[in-house]
Amino acid sequence: MPLELRSVGRRFGGLQAVADLSMTVAPSTIHGLIGPNGAGKSTVFNLITGVIPLTSGAVFFKGERISGLRPAEICRLGIARTFQATTLFREYTVLQNVLVAAHLLSAPGLGSALLWSSRYRERERRARERGLALLQTLHLAGLADQVAGTLPHRDQKALALAMVLATGAELVILDEPMAGLAAQEKAETTSVLQRLREQGLTVLLVEHDMKAVMGVCDTVTVLDHGLRIAEGTPREIQANPAVIEAYLGVEEPGA
Amino acid sequence: MSIDLLVQALLNGFGLAMVYVLVALGLTLIFSILEIINFAHGEFYMLGGYVTYYAFAVFGLNYFATLGFAILAVGLAGVVAERLIFRYLRGKTLNAFIVSLGLLWVMQASAQLSFGVLDKPVPSAFSGIVRAFGLVISVERLVVSLSAIVLIAALYLFLRWSRPGRAMRAVAQDADAAALQGVDIELVSALGFGIGCALAGGAGGLLAPVFAVSPAMGALPVVKAFIIIIIGGMGSLPGAVVGGLLLGSVEGLGSLFMGSAAVSVLGFLVVILALLVRPRGLFGGA
Amino acid sequence: MEPSRGFGAPIAGLALLAAGVVALPQLTRDSYYLDVATTILMNLALTMSLRLQVSTGQLNMAHISFMGIGAYASALLVTRVGISFWAALPIAAVVAALLAFPIGGLALRVTGPYYFLITFAFSEVVRLFFNNFFVDLFGGPSGLVGIPKPSALPWFGRALTFTTKLELYTLMAALLLVTAAVLVRLEHSRFGLVASAIRQGDLLAETLGVNVFRYKLTAYVVGSLVAGVAGAHSHQVLHSSDFGLEPMVLLVVFTVIGGTGSVWGPVAGTVLMTIAGELLRELHHYESLVFGVVLILTMLWAPDGLVALPGKLARRRRAGVSLAP
Repeated sequence: MPLELRSVGRRFGGLQAVADLSMTVAPSTIHGLIGPNGAGKSTVFNLITGVIPLTSGAVFFKGERISGLRPAEICRLGIARTFQATTLFREYTVLQNVLVAAHLLSAPGLGSALLWSSRYRERERRARERGLALLQTLHLAGLADQVAGTLPHRDQKALALAMVLATGAELVILDEPMAGLAAQEKAETTSVLQRLREQGLTVLLVEHDMKAVMGVCDTVTVLDHGLRIAEGTPREIQANPAVIEAYLGVEEPGA
Repeated sequence: MSIDLLVQALLNGFGLAMVYVLVALGLTLIFSILEIINFAHGEFYMLGGYVTYYAFAVFGLNYFATLGFAILAVGLAGVVAERLIFRYLRGKTLNAFIVSLGLLWVMQASAQLSFGVLDKPVPSAFSGIVRAFGLVISVERLVVSLSAIVLIAALYLFLRWSRPGRAMRAVAQDADAAALQGVDIELVSALGFGIGCALAGGAGGLLAPVFAVSPAMGALPVVKAFIIIIIGGMGSLPGAVVGGLLLGSVEGLGSLFMGSAAVSVLGFLVVILALLVRPRGLFGGA
Repeated sequence: MEPSRGFGAPIAGLALLAAGVVALPQLTRDSYYLDVATTILMNLALTMSLRLQVSTGQLNMAHISFMGIGAYASALLVTRVGISFWAALPIAAVVAALLAFPIGGLALRVTGPYYFLITFAFSEVVRLFFNNFFVDLFGGPSGLVGIPKPSALPWFGRALTFTTKLELYTLMAALLLVTAAVLVRLEHSRFGLVASAIRQGDLLAETLGVNVFRYKLTAYVVGSLVAGVAGAHSHQVLHSSDFGLEPMVLLVVFTVIGGTGSVWGPVAGTVLMTIAGELLRELHHYESLVFGVVLILTMLWAPDGLVALPGKLARRRRAGVSLAP
């Protein structure tokens, strides 16, 4: 099983943002993480990807302990993520963004970069081709030379997804991949994610749109105030009284 | 090494430290509101010194009146600088640094052209020494330290209790949230910059009788101010006070045991250590 | 590979630079102009290498200290140990690079303004060290004098001497062109692509698997190596104030005013401002005044630097609407 959290906890001063969280993300599934605002979802992502350290527990990926490693090392082991505020290299073009993300797969050393050898040129050419092919699958190929900061919102989201895919990750962690998208665009994203799952990718995502989450996820974990309060299939979760209570009084975000 | 000697050394260190804390407070206030590091801060200190020289030494105005005048005048100069230049650079730290450098050169050159490069001595308004508990301090130093403390307290009260002061604190914490709550960012920015410079001007006025005025007199205090706010935490006002006391102690005690160059090196090593161990400083926020 | 954003065409740029460097001595042999030109070349090496570090998002205020380390190291190796300049040069460069590892390694633990301040603190420590400690070695506040010029170099049976201004100019030109070629090559390679990405978002880069610390440290050491070589080259007289805040600030100005987005920005900035400085030199205090005003206005009106200006103006005219900065 790829991703395993064992009793993971994180304290910020007096606040226990995440408490004793254990969960497992099965390979080739789409796993949703939901909960009311402040439930600790983004903190969990930051803990898994090494952006902030754990204060208790451990995270395992493919049987190896990854908690305590730096984000770059965790990425090299096969986990990549997006950020809630769609984070891109804004001054770069779409293709440049993907090439940076793909550098892991073909990273020449400083020496060969300086020498401009033919092997180096060949690797660069292939990296470009792979980048364009990836953009093609996400319908971004036509925008390859457009500056990322000028893209409309839905294309920025697609680019962020392209970047995590470009790293060659087996597990992608998506922080609100559907935020700000129209219904049609959400449906497209859903089908893209399902297609990726068929190809063997594992997805862990956080989303506020309940309809979308229930429509795309195989498993859902529910957090409230840093604690796991339920886990199961979308149907089970929707019927769970504890979940309903946690969301009571919170306006259900519409599609 | 008797305890008296140590305490005396500490006292000497503290005396001047309070004035450097004033400079540091101005610098850190500006940083917390506008997110820029004003390299020309020492020039406003220098301006305060020259205002004091002309009003007090040349025109014979009462010392405290001069001080008040210097604070107001330099504060006004600060507001002008902000309105003309720095308001466009809020948050752009690198560009603001370069611009403040340009301003430094402009102010330095203007001072050299207007006042000449030579030191101008300023007579002390106070003479005599005070003896207490086996310690010695000159009346002048005492007045300087106490005045600095009064100004620091005034700043604290202003920020704590007045409406503009609270608005400034809100902007320092989160400018966007403050704007949403109706705070006039432009006003706070101008006021903050003005007050920051006013503090530097006041410090210049306080130390003018101690060190004489010259166009380059701002260089040393601004370096000390930087050290203080690094130790205490950029953007933190209690940090500046504690940082100043720490620096004063280190320098006071250090000068007992080593030469001034070594003391300077020690100061910088403390800075490096502080930045490595706790870059936010003792009191700094995230 | 992908060109850096801004002035592209690396080969053309290098060719232009080389042409300019070679052309100058054909136009004039005047001692004064050669002196200024040699200084410009040295400053170019310094600002281009500083820009390498800035491209990863760090403003290293200790850059000039490594120039000083290279200068003092080679001076002492030649005058005290007695080896030739040509042997001292690589050793001095290595010394600078070796010191860059611990200093950079410590400084890079912090970012942004803290990094700026910590490197400033380091630079002061180094300056004070040369100015006040081991006075019999470093000369204290009086500095070192009488450092000999480079000895003659055997070259295919003849001997190349380095005593006249022209010969020293040629030496500096060779250094600068090699440096420029290396830096331009780096910029237009994978290294440059990732470096600028780090500047745009180092957390994002890190989560995409980029070892951000290693990139920044590499830029730091390479930049410091260049600074060390530049320092070893250029001095017959050494004084610690040559490596203090004022010259460092000038380097920063030259680099930023030209624009850090492109590898050619510092070239434009250095050349223009050095010439401007020489022209204004007669005016003494007015020089600082004019410099300061120019600086303020440039940063307000062309915040990305002079080199980026034509591109920005062209885009604005084409788009008809101003792009967000």
